[in-house]
Amino acid sequence: MEEHTPENLSPAQRLGRAAALAALIVGGFFPFIWMLLTSLKTEGELQKFPVQYLPSKLDFSNYARVFSEQPFAQFFFNSLTVSLLSTVLCIAAAVPAAYALARLNLRGRGLLLTAVVAFSMFPVVSLLIPLFRLMRGANLLNTYPALILPYAALSLPIGILTLVAFFSAIPRDLEAAAMVDGTTRVGALTRVVLPLSAPGVVTAALLVFVNSWNEFLLALSFNTKLSMRTVSVGVTLYQGEFAFPWPLIAAAVVVATVPLVLLIAIFQKRFVSGLTAGGVKA
Amino acid sequence: MTTPNPTPARRPRREPSEALLATLLLLPAAALLLGVLLFPMLTTFRDSLYLNKLTEPWLQGFVGLKQYAQMLHDARFGQALRNTLLFGVLTVGGSFLVGIPMALAAHLPGRTRGLARVALLLPWAMPPVITGLIFAWLFNAQYGVFNDLLVRAGIIDEPLRWLSTPGLSVLAMVVTIIWKTSSFVALIVLGGLQGIPREMIEAAQVDGATPTQTFFRVVLPLLAPSLAVAFIFRTISAVQVFDIPYTFIQQAPAQGLLETLGVYIYRTGIEFLDFGYAAALSVALFALSLAVTAVYVRFVRDGANS
Repeated sequence: MEEHTPENLSPAQRLGRAAALAALIVGGFFPFIWMLLTSLKTEGELQKFPVQYLPSKLDFSNYARVFSEQPFAQFFFNSLTVSLLSTVLCIAAAVPAAYALARLNLRGRGLLLTAVVAFSMFPVVSLLIPLFRLMRGANLLNTYPALILPYAALSLPIGILTLVAFFSAIPRDLEAAAMVDGTTRVGALTRVVLPLSAPGVVTAALLVFVNSWNEFLLALSFNTKLSMRTVSVGVTLYQGEFAFPWPLIAAAVVVATVPLVLLIAIFQKRFVSGLTAGGVKA
Repeated sequence: MTTPNPTPARRPRREPSEALLATLLLLPAAALLLGVLLFPMLTTFRDSLYLNKLTEPWLQGFVGLKQYAQMLHDARFGQALRNTLLFGVLTVGGSFLVGIPMALAAHLPGRTRGLARVALLLPWAMPPVITGLIFAWLFNAQYGVFNDLLVRAGIIDEPLRWLSTPGLSVLAMVVTIIWKTSSFVALIVLGGLQGIPREMIEAAQVDGATPTQTFFRVVLPLLAPSLAVAFIFRTISAVQVFDIPYTFIQQAPAQGLLETLGVYIYRTGIEFLDFGYAAALSVALFALSLAVTAVYVRFVRDGANS
């Protein structure tokens, strides 16, 4: 990365810059850090006011309880399976559709794009009951497809819009050149356009994955068998009827969030540029 | 192979016509959208015209628009609508007030840039249900860290019962939603910032503009398209907000002030098993989302013409 830090900043400007960055970093991480600290405390240590900020000793027993009181490893596996497969299905449908919308001479292209957007405006909570009936009718309740199909479909509009923006940004001459060399239209797509829009595909895939990993309502209602629960529903299962065992809930929250933090840390650079390039033009 | 094909105008395979190819390429997406989403959507419209309450199974049948008329006399619907609009205005506005400075901070060059971007993305990627749980804990009346900080700072004397005091619970929820959604605004603004050529900013500085002047006269107008996009997506998601109010209500069950339209639809359908009325409420919420979009499209079109 190029460094543009000008050397002629006044001390006040330097201070302002440092304060802005510190506020952003603390603000973004604080709730997560607080859950981490809470998860290492005992119930007794929590019930103090003024609050005791640091645990007196690192107590990892809450993490053991997360996995022993609920089949959390199974929840994790379920979330991973469902999110990965919805991402694959969604991207497999979004790539050709976005290519057609961005590149081919389609009549009613604007109308089709509007229809795609309209699909994303229907509230998910409204689809809950009819989708439930559909899944029950198809005998899919308590199976992975009961979540994979709606997740892929619900993320399809944003996937298509992101990819349309990416495909539109690739010069048409490159494809034309490939086709003059004797490639078919599909060949131009797979050999020229797709490799060039790999960042866009990664961005769209991450969007779909995060959406699917985080979804709560359909997961809560369609897969009610304990062994079919996902992580976002799983973290809510530690609360009793009247009691909130906060250290335990905090540990579950940390376990559920760590993969997202890692994913973001790995892809942050590519993702920010990809998301903004795709999102803004769509 | 770099040697050109010596036999001209003969393609290796017959290419399908462009229209046929387009249809084939659109087919999987259309199958997924129509197969999974269209039928439930149409069912919702149909169900809204029928009485279908599992608790009173003898009362079934076509009632036309009666359930829409019912909404006009439903105080709970009125309250949920008002709550939704209030939360919408506060959280959309708040997410811009917080998100724009966040984007500016994340745009600053320096060694902490990667860390800043992770901090910016984290709230966006966090599952909403988990965000709700975390903030319910931060706002906990007895042991919550927000109370502790406010007491230590001398701003309050006694810990506040954030989630069970009507006005405070609204404030707590608004803060939570703003924390969660500012990232999205920041991401889109960051994209806009990255698209502004450095020369334009430098030119303004050469002309003697202060940083504040540069921001309001040069940067902000160039960001207008990004802000418009962020505004519409934020508004639609605000109108449909469900997960965070749902988690908060579990901690403060009796609070009508926290019930949004999304939560009311959920309760009508799932808890009261009144499928017909839930469908009518759903159509109303969809209409609200459409209205918001229509206003926005008009606004952007007028903006583009002027």
